[in-house]
Amino acid sequence: MRRLVLRGLAVLVLAAGCATTGDRPDYASVPRWSTRAIPEARGDIRIQPDGRHVAVRYAGWTTRDYSGFRSYAYNDTRPEPPVQRVTMPSGVTGDPKRGRALFLDRAKGPCTGCHLVPGEDVWPAGSVGPDLSTLADRKLADAYLYQQLWDPRVTFPHTVMPPWGAQGVFTPEEIIHLVAYLQTLHGPVAPEKDRERNPFTRSKPVGFGDNLDPTNNPAVVRAESAEDAWGRKGPAGKSCADCHAGGAHKALRGVAARYPRHVPAYNRVMAIEDYLTVHGPETTGQPLPIESAENLDLTMLVKMASDGLPVAIDTTSAPARAALARGKSTFYRRVGERNHACADCHTPDRGANKFLGGRLLGDVTAGLTRHFPTWRTSQNDAWDMRKRFQWCMTPLGMNMLAADSIEYAELELYLTQFDNGKPLNVPGIRH
Amino acid sequence: MSEVGKVRLRVPASIKPGDVIHVRCLVIHPMERIERDKAGKIIDKKYQYIDTVTVTYLGKTVATFETTQSVSENPFFAFAVKATDPGKLTVSFHDTHGQKYEGSVDIAFS
Repeated sequence: MRRLVLRGLAVLVLAAGCATTGDRPDYASVPRWSTRAIPEARGDIRIQPDGRHVAVRYAGWTTRDYSGFRSYAYNDTRPEPPVQRVTMPSGVTGDPKRGRALFLDRAKGPCTGCHLVPGEDVWPAGSVGPDLSTLADRKLADAYLYQQLWDPRVTFPHTVMPPWGAQGVFTPEEIIHLVAYLQTLHGPVAPEKDRERNPFTRSKPVGFGDNLDPTNNPAVVRAESAEDAWGRKGPAGKSCADCHAGGAHKALRGVAARYPRHVPAYNRVMAIEDYLTVHGPETTGQPLPIESAENLDLTMLVKMASDGLPVAIDTTSAPARAALARGKSTFYRRVGERNHACADCHTPDRGANKFLGGRLLGDVTAGLTRHFPTWRTSQNDAWDMRKRFQWCMTPLGMNMLAADSIEYAELELYLTQFDNGKPLNVPGIRH
Repeated sequence: MSEVGKVRLRVPASIKPGDVIHVRCLVIHPMERIERDKAGKIIDKKYQYIDTVTVTYLGKTVATFETTQSVSENPFFAFAVKATDPGKLTVSFHDTHGQKYEGSVDIAFS
């Protein structure tokens, strides 16, 4: 491949336009917390003897280190990547065929995750971004499209679209090929053969059946299996049942509906998972690291005891209010290689209720947390909210944090207040 | 507690005479797999797993399944039955240790 000479590429760095949402939350009062997670869930980065950085994550997840990009860690004070204004380099002729391959390349965007283009092989396309099937008819200049792909924030400061060139996902040469492809997209579009191909006409997923039916939801069997652990004496000679008499369903009914909450004893926000990591060792002596099967199963048992009850988290105390403000700030903070915020995909004025590829994006205002931990039919496993967070954030090109980090707990607190008053549905079952 | 041998049976909430209904059942069972010693030799013991499943409807055996160790623990079975008359549908699981686990459901028309 010919190396592109970027002579005359003028990169104009504009002032970093941080999307501020009111006053800066108080980060000084956040306590230090050392993680109690299984090794895969700590967000560790290992340096190999040859100097390579390898991220320690769950089996099958990427091990790429994204330290170069902003994360949700409260001590990461790097600003949002600056907006880059560029001019289209000359000397390379765009190849629409290569551009189309890049447009569909799952290792890159894929652009089809958000944009519909013609072709039977384009499946599943998303609807977060505009339908590009007839883009060329708009007769936009190549240079304009090049800039949109490099860094669309020049024209649209609050766009959901990542600055592909500025963040180094696509090279200048690749963007030229993409522009050449986009300029071939002339109408009229052939009639759709399959309404499921088109995300604007695709049917939306319906329910997954009774969440408490063990013949329907395998997570119920796992939660029930935790009843053995409930009655088993730990190294300290006591079992859960010794203090919580009458079984989880009687002793803890209603408790999970109040979590996550700010726990004064540990001076931090905790969900059931976080609380078990400290409560287990302190009472029964049984370690319950977050993301271990023991922690997850017991969490499901405890939360199942409140199934059907309305979520009732209380955020009126001063520390809880401060945590909520930080959680909200995290939700709107743009991070990672993609420079995405949670809000980009999960608020109704942006991506929520639209398709990202084949997946329908959840709507934060409808509540995203009350069915967690949930059985994921696509993963054939039960996941809690934290693993879901880590899963969400890794493809955005950001190093995940420890599953029991305060950052995640406060984000979960912010999300859960939208679930307030709606019935808890644990263990849930979803795609 | 999720004790071994607990059988859960599900049939549709609304059944009409002559309907072909899907019956789903789940049994809590270890379904022991072949174990090997350090040398890789199969440990010779009487493994506990379900080897026969019998479905009885209106007092008649309507289906039998022969199962092996390749079936997962806490196995799930689903099958179709034509609901001709109201009555009892029973699914019984027999394992290699001579244990018998049973679940039944009343088929009623509505």
